[in-house]
Amino acid sequence: MSGPAHTTKTSGHADTDHGHDHDHDHEHDHEHDEHKPINEHDDGPPGEYEIMSRAMQELLEQQGVITAEQVAERMELFDEVFPYHGGQVVARAWVDPEFKKRLLADGRAACAEMGAMLEAERLIAVENTPEVHNVIVCTLCSCYPRALLGMPPTWYKSRNYRSRVVFEPRAVLREFGTMLPDSVTVRVHDSNADMRYLVIPMRPQGTDGWSEEKLAAILSRDTLVGVRLPRIPA
Amino acid sequence: MKTIPSDIGGEPAGPVDIIDHGMKHWERQANAFRSVVQLNKIVCTDELRRAAEELGDRYKDMHYFEITTSAVRKVLVEKGLFTEQQLQAKMAEIRKRFDVPDEMDSPLKGAGGK
Amino acid sequence: MSNTASSKSTYTPAPGARFTVGDQVVVKAAYPPGHRRTPQYIRRKQGVIERICGAFPNPEELAYGFDGKPYRVLYRVRFYQTHVWESYTGSANDIIEMEIYEHWLEPAGVKT
Repeated sequence: MSGPAHTTKTSGHADTDHGHDHDHDHEHDHEHDEHKPINEHDDGPPGEYEIMSRAMQELLEQQGVITAEQVAERMELFDEVFPYHGGQVVARAWVDPEFKKRLLADGRAACAEMGAMLEAERLIAVENTPEVHNVIVCTLCSCYPRALLGMPPTWYKSRNYRSRVVFEPRAVLREFGTMLPDSVTVRVHDSNADMRYLVIPMRPQGTDGWSEEKLAAILSRDTLVGVRLPRIPA
Repeated sequence: MKTIPSDIGGEPAGPVDIIDHGMKHWERQANAFRSVVQLNKIVCTDELRRAAEELGDRYKDMHYFEITTSAVRKVLVEKGLFTEQQLQAKMAEIRKRFDVPDEMDSPLKGAGGK
Repeated sequence: MSNTASSKSTYTPAPGARFTVGDQVVVKAAYPPGHRRTPQYIRRKQGVIERICGAFPNPEELAYGFDGKPYRVLYRVRFYQTHVWESYTGSANDIIEMEIYEHWLEPAGVKT
């Protein structure tokens, strides 16, 4: 159901059992007792950190401070809901100039209008123009607007991205296939404190009259972090 | 001058692996668990960040969810939600359930996926 | 998760803010241990206040289980990349921006 940008990479074993149907995976999870050994999504026996996380979860469940249902619900939000909000918000900004103004003025309030609830996150939307290209990083950890984009990709969390994009952003962008002339200013945002960031890419030529849904489909996660430019599919 | 291991902005490093290798099931569950613990205000983001930073020399050799899981552990023990002994006992119980020997160290899910 | 919570603004009031938009500031040359959200690469660098984000509990205190009060003012500060990195190879117009708490900033021109 979800496109490649949002599909979790599963092991070969899981693919054989469950195909690529994400909904089916989740129905399967909910039918199981969360504490029975279910390994079908990962290869091999659980490692130390998986055991550690499970143990902590069980201890807190036993104390009644969290429930298994809360964890399952959160998993579903991260997988099925959050990744789509960012594209929807930016597609709306593309078609509705007043909404875009509100989004630029106050990101969290504007996202709330569209039902993208940001919890504690505070959002600053930054707009690409012919003169300025924005790119986002969190050098200190991996802060990321999860309620809008889902979980960050592995490259965003990697040492190499975090350390290099602040001092050689153009070289890093080239590695993603994004070439920018010197006439375009590169504006890097290090998401280091309480704010989260969303890039509003420039709307490509040839998208006049497109529905918001069609526009959201070309607003991949990578375009909203600023490492790629949106492309019209051939 | 760097005082915390995660403060790496500006350090020379190699090419970015631009492929998103996604998350394993246990990582998604660990992430959801971490999220619930924060939502329920048992720990806050800043405590988790600080606990990750306190991994010190180990930090650079650990993968992201190993770091975040270790950080959750540290803060939950600090706040008295459970003791190290209780955690170890529960981990031993889970290992038995999965039939995992006690001496198994943390593999990086080698076969097939990343 | 209530609607009220989510529709709140990104920004909070900061009536006692020391700096205003456009002020030239320098990030302190201090390297204290412990939890800080001011990256080491930006310390000692001069930039300009780009916006006032508001007043928030101090993360340096929250990190250790304290309530982070009194709140501290958070700013977004803009720096020219050529002022941050000695051998920056991009355009001279390239910039980097980040959030810096007030207690990490001094007016430019003041000896820290």
